[in-house]
Amino acid sequence: MLTLWRANLLGSSAKGNEYFLEHLLGAGSNLRASETPEDLRPGEVTWRGPAEGGGPRGKLDLLVSIDFRMTSSTLLSDIVLPAATWYEKHDLSSTDMHPFVHAFTPAIDPPWETRTDFDAFHAIARAFSRLAARHLGVREDLVATALQHDTPGETAQPGGTALDWRAGQAPPIPGRTMPALAVVERDYGAVADKLATLGPLAERLGLPAKGIVLHPDREVTDLAHRNGVMLGGAGDGRPALDTDAKLAEAILALSATTNGNLAVQGFRTLERRVGRPLAQLAEGSHERRITFADTQAGPVPVITSPEWSGSETGGRRYAPFTTNVEQLKPWHTLTGRMHFLLDHDWIRDLGETLPIYRPPLDMRRLFGEPALGADGGRQVTVRYLTPHSKWSIHSEYQDNLLMLSLSRGGPTVWMHPADAGAIGVADNQWVEAVNRNGILVARAIVSHRIPAGTVFVHHAQERTIDVPRSEANDRRGGIHNSLTRLLVKPTHLIGGYAQLSFAFNYLGPTGNQRDEVTVIRPRSQEVRY
Amino acid sequence: MRVMAQMAMVMNLDKCIGCHTCSVTCKQAWTNRSGVEYVWFNNVETRPGQGYPRRYQDQERWQGGWTLNRRGRLTLKAGGRLRKLLTIFANPVLPNIRDYYEPWTYDYEHLTSAPLGDDFPVARPKSLLTGQPTDISWSANWDDDLAGAPEHGHLDPIVQRLREQAQATVAFEYERSFMFFLPRICEHCLNPSCVASCPSGAMYKREEDGIVLVDQDRCRGWRMCVTGCPYKKVYFNHRTGKAEKCTFCYPRVEVGQPTVCSETCVGRLRYIGLVLYDADRVFQAASVRDPRELYQAQLEVLLDPADPRVVAAGRAGGIPEDWLEAARRSPIHALLKHYRVALPLHPEFRTLPMVWYVPPLSPVVDVLTNTGNDGEDAGNLFGAIDTLRIPLEYLAELFTAGDVEPVRAVLQRLAAMRSYMRDLTLGQPADESIPASVGMTGAQLQELYRLLALAKYEDRYVIPTAHEEQGRELEELACSLDYEGGPGMYASGPFGEASGRPMPVAVETFHALKQRQTADRPVDPGERGARVNLLNWDGKGEPPGLFPQRDGEDRR
Repeated sequence: MLTLWRANLLGSSAKGNEYFLEHLLGAGSNLRASETPEDLRPGEVTWRGPAEGGGPRGKLDLLVSIDFRMTSSTLLSDIVLPAATWYEKHDLSSTDMHPFVHAFTPAIDPPWETRTDFDAFHAIARAFSRLAARHLGVREDLVATALQHDTPGETAQPGGTALDWRAGQAPPIPGRTMPALAVVERDYGAVADKLATLGPLAERLGLPAKGIVLHPDREVTDLAHRNGVMLGGAGDGRPALDTDAKLAEAILALSATTNGNLAVQGFRTLERRVGRPLAQLAEGSHERRITFADTQAGPVPVITSPEWSGSETGGRRYAPFTTNVEQLKPWHTLTGRMHFLLDHDWIRDLGETLPIYRPPLDMRRLFGEPALGADGGRQVTVRYLTPHSKWSIHSEYQDNLLMLSLSRGGPTVWMHPADAGAIGVADNQWVEAVNRNGILVARAIVSHRIPAGTVFVHHAQERTIDVPRSEANDRRGGIHNSLTRLLVKPTHLIGGYAQLSFAFNYLGPTGNQRDEVTVIRPRSQEVRY
Repeated sequence: MRVMAQMAMVMNLDKCIGCHTCSVTCKQAWTNRSGVEYVWFNNVETRPGQGYPRRYQDQERWQGGWTLNRRGRLTLKAGGRLRKLLTIFANPVLPNIRDYYEPWTYDYEHLTSAPLGDDFPVARPKSLLTGQPTDISWSANWDDDLAGAPEHGHLDPIVQRLREQAQATVAFEYERSFMFFLPRICEHCLNPSCVASCPSGAMYKREEDGIVLVDQDRCRGWRMCVTGCPYKKVYFNHRTGKAEKCTFCYPRVEVGQPTVCSETCVGRLRYIGLVLYDADRVFQAASVRDPRELYQAQLEVLLDPADPRVVAAGRAGGIPEDWLEAARRSPIHALLKHYRVALPLHPEFRTLPMVWYVPPLSPVVDVLTNTGNDGEDAGNLFGAIDTLRIPLEYLAELFTAGDVEPVRAVLQRLAAMRSYMRDLTLGQPADESIPASVGMTGAQLQELYRLLALAKYEDRYVIPTAHEEQGRELEELACSLDYEGGPGMYASGPFGEASGRPMPVAVETFHALKQRQTADRPVDPGERGARVNLLNWDGKGEPPGLFPQRDGEDRR
């Protein structure tokens, strides 16, 4: 089951959109690639047999979206829950672009049947827990987690020697030679209660922050007084998080950026760890506690915290790695310094121990795409890039009438005059862009500011506005990510080695799709929808 | 000397990133209703580009603004009263909807109401004028970011001029591409040709602050103002049949708040403040022979607010003390007259525009930096001004009627500021020869840096509030252009208004205006099938038929 909220996976972020439609959802797609031949398949992954002409199809059982507009994702969802928008809920906002934390406060109540994300998830949790208590009960789960950055797992492969426990090169030791394993008790009937309370692990294990642990014992007690405690159920006696405002209060209480006591405590811990004076960064803030009400009154400047590497002390603005550069706190690398050399086995095998130039992948050799350039006939093969659009924030506002009136009013592909001329395409004419990953139908924008041999199809252009059926297969054209797919670089999968260790949403394999190429063809200007 | 105050604006093009926030917020505040879907009081054009509406700057085609006739006298380019009378029902130089763009929307509802199927439903574009499905072939900002430049770029009237006069070759090539953004609002000119063009006398320039407005009660929809404005900043509301234009957000400005476009400007590039000017010299300044002298002539019409004679004359003319103080602290005066880094837009139209621009610096052509020279070193930078990516000649055609010298001087001052401040920022000793080379002092460059680069809110907007106690006097005098030979003056004639004075704002006209503006249907007396009958009216409320019906309203 997949829940999409505050996201538009199938209209914006899913690189390799057609693969998602085909294999994940089992919906019709414009996928044109055939399966990887057997001799090129990864040896350590079980390849499931073809269900219907290639690969597993429709693996997902249920797709749920929570959104306030009709997107490519909600159109495909089994269930769409109407969502409240920004000024209809309590929430917190912050960013490293400015040194403040501030609140969202409802200007109106969520209208009609919309609910805030908080209310939606809690309602689902309550219904789920009622059913799960009966059908699932209490179970134990074996959870494997990657060796993470800023944990002892980082030193699991001394010298960068990659020993494979499965091949018998090393004994299987969880957390050292294999992923960390943990047995987790899941009380499915208690999910709703636990969602609405702050659990005991906050005090028992503390809050991890970049290799140190913050102990919020005092904060949790204060929070219990401020928010009240839950009575009965799995969260009995624990601080209540049963409203969005209380959750915001808890976040502010447990972060060193908004709780000076934790900041000073954290810096003192860090001082002992790295042997450098650091607590002066939070000097004067020891007593400061930013509450939700403070943020509602106006944006509040944050406190310098060991959770981040910047310093806002004395009114400075955030810049990363300030503490490393100025306070000489060691860098979170193998040597504790900034360094270019990487000595891991896999990196050495690829010849990248020092940074070197790598040209774009040869898509012709790898995937059989045509050679770059015009073929003298009616098509031209170009590099395919998806920079961010100026008329939307990802896919938000890409369907907004004012944005569309100020641009070209629909999906577009920016081309250099030479490439457009090679296929006889004029400005604003419909074209089709095709590669093995999918099909895109858009109008050409011919401009001399695009480098020859490259096209831009901006991120994100969905298939909900002015997208006709394609000539290629008479189905609706795709989104900008219909022509991409992920290409994972092997060295990004290393893990367990100093700064190459995995950190969720921070360090790890990236969604690489910049080496794609596509064929652009002219088409009939009579479009059918 | 008749000293008057004018609210003016400067836009620093060095900072415009073309985000169009100003356009969107203005649209949502003022033109987000039927009848003006295609209207953008504030628009942002990419240059080179055709602008909005297309090729509005080509006055040979559109006949906007003023010109000097054979006797050297200032006249409307579109012709005098006789010509207006003859073309009053069919004006050949009026832009049509295609020159702006045909506004459209999408069938959004189809996304939620489409039946279950095997393919994605899609929202198709449909015209807001006909309601029919349509192809999109032009928009409010079609050539944004040089889109379509290889095909349409030569239609930019400035590019055309430059190529014809072989002043500069503007080539649309990757290696030589350049662009910048030009945000535009109404210029609220000192010598507005739109006001002069109106046969009904419906347009007026406010006495107290120079804001030019259209009286919605007086307007009869002749659309001569649309032709008359060379910037094409008066628009026609096709629902009400009246002209509408940028109001300089006078309801905000009157309480000391900046215009919506300024307040929301992401780049913090707009400045609002007062200038004092000599109303007696406007006509003369607009009439100088050589268009290249118009810039200087207009500068001389603007007065020094610190000069005691100007202050005395201002007081005598009824300008309040806090307005005189605001004029002294005005960022507009600083940028226009003190630092002289702002230039007027198309002074050759002779309207004496009051929204000025700081021209943009642009990257030094690579030829210089490729030879290993530091492009921003003071010595190199001055020499490089002539070879900046954006041709000087292009900027000159935009701001100084083609005279390159003032543009070069402005860019040198800006470059000097960058160079001088760079030393200070890097902790090096200040090089005083840099400001001296542009006729300024180091302290002045630092002040200019504070104003242009740091651009604090309080420094950018110096807006005195309106004086309500003067309101009554203002109602009686209507327009600041009612002087001998002025554009607001119409003698009695077959088509002139004897009074030439718009009706003062009063309760009745306010409601009439409001009703007309919010009517869902066009104002059509024929629709009601009956004339307004005042004989049976008891004097209370509104007589039936006087105002257009609103949906669901019961009219007595």
